[in-house]
Amino acid sequence: MSVSSDLELVELFQKGNEDSFNELVRRYQEKVYWIAHRFVNDHDQADDIVQEVFLKVYGALNDFRGKSSVYTWLYRITVNVSLNTIRKQRIKDFLRIDEFFDYPSEESEQPDKQYERSEQKQLIEEAIERLPEKQKAVFILRYYEELPYEDISKILKTSVGGLKANYFHAVKKIGEFVNRAHRAH
Amino acid sequence: MHTEHIKYSLMDYITGHLNEYDLDQVRLHLRHCSECQNHYNELIAAYDALQHSQKVSPSSAYYSTILPRVQERLMGHRDSVWSDRKITSRLILPLAVSALLLILLIRIPSDSSYNNEQTDALFQAVKDYSADDVVQAVSNEYAGSSVLSNSEVFSEGVAENLQGDHFIREALLKQIESEEIVDMDIDGVLSGLNREQADQLLSKLSEREML
Repeated sequence: MSVSSDLELVELFQKGNEDSFNELVRRYQEKVYWIAHRFVNDHDQADDIVQEVFLKVYGALNDFRGKSSVYTWLYRITVNVSLNTIRKQRIKDFLRIDEFFDYPSEESEQPDKQYERSEQKQLIEEAIERLPEKQKAVFILRYYEELPYEDISKILKTSVGGLKANYFHAVKKIGEFVNRAHRAH
Repeated sequence: MHTEHIKYSLMDYITGHLNEYDLDQVRLHLRHCSECQNHYNELIAAYDALQHSQKVSPSSAYYSTILPRVQERLMGHRDSVWSDRKITSRLILPLAVSALLLILLIRIPSDSSYNNEQTDALFQAVKDYSADDVVQAVSNEYAGSSVLSNSEVFSEGVAENLQGDHFIREALLKQIESEEIVDMDIDGVLSGLNREQADQLLSKLSEREML
C-alpha cells in the first residue's frame, strides 16, 4: 500500500478499498496537524481540525477527479477548516461566550502539548496571529511548510505574484510587531 | 528583475529558496538600491526573530491516535444515518396521515407573502456583506452588555439579558456550530427567524449603514 501514489490510493478508494483512505490519513496526518497548529497555536484545536479535515476528505474522496494533486486538495481543505476554526473562535470571542465552551488555559496544558513558551516565541505567535487571513495562510505555507509558490497558488487560488507580495508584507508585519513590542518594554 | 520583483524575492533570498540566477540578480541589485537594502534589513531582523518559533512536536504516540478516532467518528456517523433512516421510515406513515387530517380539519392562515417578499429582499440586501461585517455589528451591539456565567441558564438568560436581541446571537451560534462559516451563509443565518426577528435584524443592519 505504501508504494502507491496518492492518486492511486484515491482510485482504489473509489473502487471500494477503504484501507487506501487509512493510508492517506497516515501519509498526511502530521502535515495536516502542523499546518493546523500553525494557524491556531493550540494542540486541542489543531487536533479537532485534523479530525474534521479527514472526515471531510472521506466524504469527498468519491468526488475527487484529479484536477489538482491530492496534496494540494488536502492542504486546501486544511487551510479552509483552519480559517473556519479561527473565525468561529473570533465570533465566540466577540460574543464573550468562552465560558460556555470551556477552552483549556495554558496553565492546564497536558504532556502532549508541552510547548516551551518563551517570551520571544509568544511574541512571534501573536504577530502571526494578527496577520490578515490571506497573509497568514501564505506565510504558513511558504515559511513553515516551504511549499513552492505554484502549489500555494493552487491551494489558495491566488496568482504567484500576489502570493509573493503577501509573503513579503506578512514577514514585514511580523518584524514590525516584534520591534514595537521590544521598544515598548 | 526590477525593484518590485526584487523586493518580493527578498525573503526567498534570505531563506535560500532562489535559484542561482535569481540569487545573483538580487545580490547585485542590493549593492546599489538603498530602498531594497532597507527592506532586506527589516526582513533579516524578522527572520532572526522567527528562529524562536521552531516547532515542538507532540509525542509520537499522538499520531497513532488520529486514525482510530477518525474511524470511530465515521462509524458513529454511519450508525446515526442508519438510525435516522429507521426512525424516519417508521414515522413517515403516521406523520403523513396526521398531516392530511390536520389539513382537512383546519384552515392554516397564510403568511407566505411576507416570507417570499420581505425575506427575499432581506437576503438580497445583506448577502454581499461579509461575516466580519455582521459579527462586528453584533459585537458593537453587545459591547456594553454583561456576560452570563452559568451555562445552564444560557438560553433563557441570554434572551433576558439582551432584551430580545438574542436572536442574532442565536443565529450566529447556529452558524458557529454549523459547517459553513466560510463566507457566512447569510441564508443559513436568517433561516428559522420569524417575521419579527427578521425585521429587527433588518433594522439593526440598516442602523449601521450595512444595507
